[in-house]
Amino acid sequence: MRKLLVAGLVTAMGVGAAILTLARPSTAQQPAKTAAPQPAPKVEADSVLAPRLTVADSAGLKGPKQPVFFRHDIHAGQYKIQCQYCHYSVSRSSEPGIPSMQTCMGCHLVIGGTDSTHRAEIKKLRDAWREKRPIEWVRIHTLARHAHFPHMRHIKAMGPAACGTCHGDVQRMPQVFKVNNVNNMGFCISCHVARKVNRDCSACHY
Amino acid sequence: MADEHRSDPVDRRRFLKVLGVAGAGTAALAGCSTDRIEKLVPYLVQSEDEVPGIATWYASTCTECPTGCGLHVRTREGRAVKLEGNPDHPINAGTLCARGQAALQGLYNPGRIRFPMGRNAAGDIAEILPLEGVNRLADAIRSANGKVAVVSGAGRGTFDDLLGRWVTTLGGRLVRYQAFDHEPVRLANQMVFGLSEVPAHDFAKAKYILSFGADFLETWGSPIENQRGFAKSHGFDGQTMAKAVYVGPRMSLTGMNADQWIAVKPGSEASLALGLASALAGSRNVDAGSARTVLGEYTVDRVATDTGVSAEVIRKLAEELGRATPSLVVAGGVGGQHAGAIDLCAAVNILNHVLGNVGQTVHFGRGVPSSDGYGALADLIGSMDRGEIGVLIVHEANPVFTVPKSSKLADAIRKVPFKVSTSMFMDETTVLADLIVPNLHALERWDDLRPRANVRGLIQPVMQPVFSGLNTGDLLLQVARKLGGTVGAGFTAPTFEAELKTAWGDFGRSRGAADADTFWRQSLAKGGVYDDAPASPAVSVAATAAQVSGAVAPLGGDGEFVFTPYPSSMYYDGRGANRPWLLENPDPVTKITWQTWIEINPEKAREMNIREGEILRLSTPQGAIEAPVYLYPGIRPDTLAMPIGLGHTAFGDYAKGRGVNPLDLLGAEAGKGFLSYVSVKVKAEKTNGYKKLAKTEGNPRELGRHITEAMPVAHAAKGMTVEESLKADGEAEEASNTKLEVDALQGFRTAQVEQRKYGAYAEDFPQWGMSIDLAKCTGCSACVTACYAENNIPHVGEEYVLRGREMSWMRIERYYEGGENGEPFSARVIPMLCQHCDNAPCESVCPVYASYHTADGLNGQVYNRCVGTRYCSNNCPYKVRYFNWSAYAKLAFPEPLNLQLNPDVTVRARGVMEKCTFCIQRIRSAQNQARLEDRPLKDGDVVTACAQACPSGAIVFGNMKDPESRVVKAKQDRRGYHVLEEINVRPAVTYLAKVFDRAEA
Repeated sequence: MRKLLVAGLVTAMGVGAAILTLARPSTAQQPAKTAAPQPAPKVEADSVLAPRLTVADSAGLKGPKQPVFFRHDIHAGQYKIQCQYCHYSVSRSSEPGIPSMQTCMGCHLVIGGTDSTHRAEIKKLRDAWREKRPIEWVRIHTLARHAHFPHMRHIKAMGPAACGTCHGDVQRMPQVFKVNNVNNMGFCISCHVARKVNRDCSACHY
Repeated sequence: MADEHRSDPVDRRRFLKVLGVAGAGTAALAGCSTDRIEKLVPYLVQSEDEVPGIATWYASTCTECPTGCGLHVRTREGRAVKLEGNPDHPINAGTLCARGQAALQGLYNPGRIRFPMGRNAAGDIAEILPLEGVNRLADAIRSANGKVAVVSGAGRGTFDDLLGRWVTTLGGRLVRYQAFDHEPVRLANQMVFGLSEVPAHDFAKAKYILSFGADFLETWGSPIENQRGFAKSHGFDGQTMAKAVYVGPRMSLTGMNADQWIAVKPGSEASLALGLASALAGSRNVDAGSARTVLGEYTVDRVATDTGVSAEVIRKLAEELGRATPSLVVAGGVGGQHAGAIDLCAAVNILNHVLGNVGQTVHFGRGVPSSDGYGALADLIGSMDRGEIGVLIVHEANPVFTVPKSSKLADAIRKVPFKVSTSMFMDETTVLADLIVPNLHALERWDDLRPRANVRGLIQPVMQPVFSGLNTGDLLLQVARKLGGTVGAGFTAPTFEAELKTAWGDFGRSRGAADADTFWRQSLAKGGVYDDAPASPAVSVAATAAQVSGAVAPLGGDGEFVFTPYPSSMYYDGRGANRPWLLENPDPVTKITWQTWIEINPEKAREMNIREGEILRLSTPQGAIEAPVYLYPGIRPDTLAMPIGLGHTAFGDYAKGRGVNPLDLLGAEAGKGFLSYVSVKVKAEKTNGYKKLAKTEGNPRELGRHITEAMPVAHAAKGMTVEESLKADGEAEEASNTKLEVDALQGFRTAQVEQRKYGAYAEDFPQWGMSIDLAKCTGCSACVTACYAENNIPHVGEEYVLRGREMSWMRIERYYEGGENGEPFSARVIPMLCQHCDNAPCESVCPVYASYHTADGLNGQVYNRCVGTRYCSNNCPYKVRYFNWSAYAKLAFPEPLNLQLNPDVTVRARGVMEKCTFCIQRIRSAQNQARLEDRPLKDGDVVTACAQACPSGAIVFGNMKDPESRVVKAKQDRRGYHVLEEINVRPAVTYLAKVFDRAEA
């Protein structure tokens, strides 16, 4: 299952990158590749252990620095927590949902972290919870307001592990960054062409 | 998700710029639509009820007028975004009027008072803490020593019970006040039947409807319930329809929907009603009781002299009334509220009795709440003036605006040492207050209403309060507790919510509910408890009925014109005047927005050499006002009419200083316990002023364009098409197509069917279509506000309406018929929206493919493609495309109005064309849901906002490919036609011709 996801991911990234650099619509004519098996990516495919990083390292990582150095690679990668445990509404709503502070504290009431870096970050969470202050995450993916993206239909069509198709291999990201520009319409369309699904303007724009 | 809501408009220039950047391959960090960093703010604790992106619905009850309709409130991400009717509710059955829907703009109104306020040391009004408000009120009551008066406009319910108990405990005085009370109706029922109550009316059952100035479709009684019933009886059912006749000096919206208008002399209506009763009593085996002797005096000839209506018309009316059983006669609106109003209502009671309608279409014992009448308020004004009141509390009422200035109410209030208002808005009464503790909006608080004996509606908070306020129920409880002693002992509930739950617990027990908590939850989920209506008690004519008189009501003043102010369809008694949706929604009769006008008969205007927009000065001994005139053929030449509702001197930025208040011309004598609205003759003088009327109509007449089709009931019953009906009337020559045209149409149709075999069109997509039954549509304009609410349509304001830039995707066109050369005057209405033509002229001229045809039969409009050439609008024969001329998104939704915006619909930027989408967001949402459930779409899954709101059920939407769908069935009706069929654009909207039952001229 997971292997499939990674394969799909690489193709999608490839197509996306082509659009970004060439800005040519001809990519739409290479749909067959999606289905073809792809080699696994070279990023430590066998290791499930997330790298040891301190908060100081976050500045050197891709993506915007977040108020808490939340490690998707630890949560979703190393501990294999399902995406939908936190992004709970992705299979039924257009919005994927972000976890409430209570969801975080469900675990972190008990789990205090294994080393000083982790402990420091988890303390930020606990302090915020105590002060009833939500953590204001920096948003990575913002779809333009004139387009509508129903997450649930994509999950329905592509399975619960399809997140990476657009969001990249988040399980391996210590700090989340934008892999695909979701506001590049070609990125959407290439997939819709490949899968022979609706390409009507008003499917998304209304 | 507490993500930034979608109200933030995409600035067009920035949008294009960023698009260009992204195309060159540089990814902006924080997304495409904006270069700001956006934050994702999580909940601390996620509400169980709420999933981001999915609407949560709550059942509640509407408090915008005394009717008490049931609501379903759509909330998204913790804020109310749309109000719809509760389908289970017996009064409105899932529909909602424009005023009810605009409650949202009350909730999010920028003019709302943001915190409790009181006088500071300098005597200015300034913010205080809620607790301070409680303390101050308690202190004032203590020192007032029982001299407490409360004016409350709250409906009957637990709050009203609590208030009554509270005032009694304090030894004070409670005046239940509604501007448009039913006092004459109540007093007349007392006179004729010995029943001091207001009856309920069943329009659905009536086979003949006769109204004496009661505007039951817009403001009188229970408008939505009336309209639902009216559509059922008066709407053509395939065989027959009830005839409706309107009697009054001015043709209102109700009059426009009637088949016949009798322009009776103002004040003489009672004579006509008695004349009809007299003519019918002879042929019917009904005992008119003590009224028998009175009836004898009203011969047809006498009535004809009294009323100015020809004897022939009266005889015919009596004959028709006598044939239809049951029928329904109503009276008692503001239009008939003159010195003789009780007599008029009493005469109508006798007429209903003679016709055997009481118990059939007129139901007593239904517990329709009535207020204390103007007499009680007039008494209170006297007391205040004499310094007998120490504390005055005004709750959910604005009497300083709704009572004529000549009452000197404002001066009397100033004499009260301590004035308290619980209003949410800084209205004319509240500006006089020493203490303001704003009530929470009905969508933010616990409450309930009992609009009928068998209907109890619950009101629940659907969201966090927008501004700081205090449920007035809690205010009463806290003040009582603060006062302590015997007063405090009587009010032990810790909160009003607890009080409400206790009351419902008792109610549940009285019905034998096993568990109070379960009963509460079930009632809350359903929106309340709805029982069958109780049986009507048998009534008989009381001895006092002999007092009825048909004497023509006297009028004061020495002017030339009878002055008839009437409640506005949109602003009601003025409470709607701070809601832009209602200001921009044109008056259903005159199509004027944002303004006050004077209606005058065109012939009279010609005589006086007045043109539309010229400012007239009207004066009476009580005052003078100036307003532009509107030439209206539906008014008697000796009468002038003006809508009530504008002319506020306070009440927020939208209302303040807009228009004039016709009540300024009236005297304020309480007379027999009610306010006479038709009581003076005004003097009209020309001024040199001119004000262009902000009308949304082009031409008031159809000029042979055949936009609204209508046929007599005799033709409709024979199953005639519009063309056949016109032919039968000898008018078909120009209306029907020539053979050449028919061939061309057929050829086009074949070509189009052929085209459907290619591309995406070949796939199995639905074809969306709509039918609108003009026999049911009354022009009430509920659909217009529903469209504004659903589709984030900005209001543009008076100035832009004057330039013809209104954005109303759905509009009601109104066309006058006749009224010239002695022909009877009538009017027709037609809702006009994008027709989603199969052969759309707009699509072929768009240079950027922004306007195009979707595979599911919609005329798509892609905002992000649109560059604003406006070619499409120029080429649209229906003129239903609206160009976004200004930064309306910013102008129309100032904080916190923007919280109402529907997150499923793009807020359009300046410079794009927009139009009706057939509520595509609802289509897509239904399709998404069906896909999640692995099922095909069913008929009824998609209901457009207009169809949902329509109280008449005139609009049906659905898939034209599904032979079982309601829309296909409706479109098969023989009355179906397309507007401007001859230009061959193949619209997806089918209209069913209006059917009328008009006396052969």
